[in-house]
Amino acid sequence: MSNDHGKVLPSYMKVFATLCTLTLLTVGAAEFIHFGDLGPIPGYSINIFVGIVIAVVKVICVMYIFMHLKFDHPMLRFFVYVPVFLFFVMSFALNFLEKWTYTR
Amino acid sequence: MSSALNLSHEPVTKVKHGKIAMWAFLASELMFFSGFFGTFIVLRNTNYEVFKHGAHELAWPLALLNTFILIGSSLTMAMAIYHLERHNNGKFRTYLGLTILGAFGFLIVKYFEYSAKWQHHLFPGQDEHTVFFSFYFLMTGFHAMHVVGGMIPMVYMFFKSYTKSAYPHPSKVETLGLYWHFVDLMWIFIFPALYLIFP
Repeated sequence: MSNDHGKVLPSYMKVFATLCTLTLLTVGAAEFIHFGDLGPIPGYSINIFVGIVIAVVKVICVMYIFMHLKFDHPMLRFFVYVPVFLFFVMSFALNFLEKWTYTR
Repeated sequence: MSSALNLSHEPVTKVKHGKIAMWAFLASELMFFSGFFGTFIVLRNTNYEVFKHGAHELAWPLALLNTFILIGSSLTMAMAIYHLERHNNGKFRTYLGLTILGAFGFLIVKYFEYSAKWQHHLFPGQDEHTVFFSFYFLMTGFHAMHVVGGMIPMVYMFFKSYTKSAYPHPSKVETLGLYWHFVDLMWIFIFPALYLIFP
């Protein structure tokens, strides 16, 4: 109950609107936009990269506002950061390293 | 000892034990789903054509609808906690009810998705569909089980709020809220991974 100020409900609505917008952006970026190759990086990898970046932004929004991390003790935040960071690193690293290692 | 030791809070951070326990549980849940995502990505890159073909059989508009339903239920859950903390039992009940409806709606859409797959013989054991649809049913199935798991305490709290004592535990609802937002977070990753990232 550390959020006793009048900005909580508006911030919930903002996060909700942001999440909806980013969801539409994810679909748009994946289904309708096809990036061209960027040097050695193939275009579809950029599509995936954009998709993961949007997902990460959405996750941060939910964790900070809906899950109250913004208002919680910094030590609890640190406790949360470690597994989430590892998860993000795994999503990025495996997508790219594997793609460039294996032939399709 | 003269002064009673308060065991309901962690002494340094003043965060309730239940909340810390839930975060620890969610960290273990993240590792559980990481296993799925890790193997999914590795197998996807080695069997690209099979996965691409499988993903094109999925109906992303239905999954998009489910995404909006889950995001909406996350919002109503946060609102329910907000109102319970302010002893506003009526609004708490309304928003918790909406959250339960959202969870139920999610499962209904999932039912239509699964039955369509079943009718089109898109499930493990059907030749080239085995690999992709193993992941599809495993990941979305475990996610749906988490949705059901969240609904059970929600329904209990909802009916308890009609009794004379209402539901007097905001911290428990907040802990359940953490779990519910996590279910939303996992869907945020499952949705693009299964339905969208195949050009």
